[in-house]
Amino acid sequence: MSDVAFFGAVEIGLVYALVALGVYLSFRVLDFPDLTVDGSFPLGAAVAATWIVSGGNPWLGSLAAMLAGAGAGLVTALLNVRFRILHLLASILTMIALFSINLRVMGRPNVAILMQDTVLTPFYGLGLPDHIVRPLAVGVVALVAVALLAWFLTSEFGLAMRATGVNARMARAQGVETDGHVYFGIALSNALVALAGALFAQTNGFADVTTGIGTIVVGLAAVIVGETLVPLRGLAGALLGCVIGSILYRLAVQLALSADVVGLEAADLNLVTAVLVAVALILPRSRLRVAKVAK
Amino acid sequence: MIEVGDLHVVFGRGTALEKHALRGVDLIIPEGQFVTVIGSNGAGKSTFLAALAGDVLPERGRVAIDGVDVTRWPTPKRAAYVARVFQDPMAGTCAALTIEENMALAASRGARRGLGRAVSRERHARFRDRIAELGLGLENRLGDRIGLLSGGQRQAISLLMATLAGCKILLLDEHTAALDPATADFVIGLTRRIVAEKRLTALMVTHSMRQALDVGDRTVMLHEGRVVLDVAGEERAGLDVPHLLDLFARQRGGVDITDDSLLIG
Repeated sequence: MSDVAFFGAVEIGLVYALVALGVYLSFRVLDFPDLTVDGSFPLGAAVAATWIVSGGNPWLGSLAAMLAGAGAGLVTALLNVRFRILHLLASILTMIALFSINLRVMGRPNVAILMQDTVLTPFYGLGLPDHIVRPLAVGVVALVAVALLAWFLTSEFGLAMRATGVNARMARAQGVETDGHVYFGIALSNALVALAGALFAQTNGFADVTTGIGTIVVGLAAVIVGETLVPLRGLAGALLGCVIGSILYRLAVQLALSADVVGLEAADLNLVTAVLVAVALILPRSRLRVAKVAK
Repeated sequence: MIEVGDLHVVFGRGTALEKHALRGVDLIIPEGQFVTVIGSNGAGKSTFLAALAGDVLPERGRVAIDGVDVTRWPTPKRAAYVARVFQDPMAGTCAALTIEENMALAASRGARRGLGRAVSRERHARFRDRIAELGLGLENRLGDRIGLLSGGQRQAISLLMATLAGCKILLLDEHTAALDPATADFVIGLTRRIVAEKRLTALMVTHSMRQALDVGDRTVMLHEGRVVLDVAGEERAGLDVPHLLDLFARQRGGVDITDDSLLIG
């Protein structure tokens, strides 16, 4: 693997680390399997790219992307909490609707950011090669997100949100408005995913309506790889695990694709992803079974 | 003071499974009284507690706590007044959270939850002191996941959690039923001590006639959604388990229930 390919994998891993953090919030903290992310990732990219191309400030564009993502999350939460639609189905409905909305936002299937300033522009002037500046900048964003989330989830409000996911009945008995916490948590989760989409558009120079396909699987893969391979304890450890898991996952994919002996090409990416996630899900279970037999 | 008037609860109204669980319960519990509630399966004990807690909204009737009408309040809103310990130790605590996180959740019951640290240094020290009082040696395990503890330990902590924030009434729903006899005795002893120390108004549902007469200062029997026996003071002191079983049998239409395994003397 060349230097450029290595740092490219790290960079994309760090972008998707934000997706992993969002997925951790929905799947792990709230126990709410939310597939909205397949729509909110390209939504973030679409909003940021359109904003930037029409001459807007890239920071404000990224903020607008997060707000749009939060809005998408609120729709999913509303369908589930208020109208009692099963969470998986509610999120699929939002995801499908977002495909049309993303086309509307961009006015066409893809938008290229060529000459405009992005949030990365100030960092390119630091004298480092571009392929190193990008992962550094995105890495800073990911670490700030980890720090903020760790603080949030150990606060009184965040603890109530964790209780909502673990034992909603107990949480309500302790005076926690569980519905409100689902709304807030799913909105926050999708805001993070949309921010990832906005950064993706700015590091890669384009937004495309199809980039969302499989976002959930990649996010989940990162969470699982982090949980299985990163031996950090506690909440901050789990969040860092999402980031490290996301990078490791990307490196593994890059390695699989660049090893000529294996004979895989870029087109096989989704297959490789699905197989990796399936293996990561099966392994802990069969390990349990082996442990049981050994007893 | 708790005032319950003409409380009716119906499940599945209009369906084949329609069940009239409470049929006009009237009960006034003065402040500081410890009431035990008995009744056979399906008598409406748990529904009554759920209606007090807000989990079940009544079709008719009124629930007032200290003069405030809370009949239509949902559970989280009522939590400022109501502390609870569930029958299932898993139900009353969050297995995936640590002991101190569970306690922090309970300490803010009924209060606004902001962005301040949930387990502050001050709280950690307070929780440590409180949990040391239990004498279970758990004071050095505050950071352990509560799911690692035994059912009895979890119930003891649940009781403690119920007293971390103030309450107008403590609801105990067969909170010793899932425990072995020795642990159940320990938890009952702890319940008595906590209710006496904090001068709590409490309602305890139990399946044990012995417990119903020994613990607290008033016993209420529910049958088919109504109060059929309500004894306190000398009348209650004069009752023993066979009396109670006899009364119980008469309510059930004279059927001999001595072999009913649910009615443990």
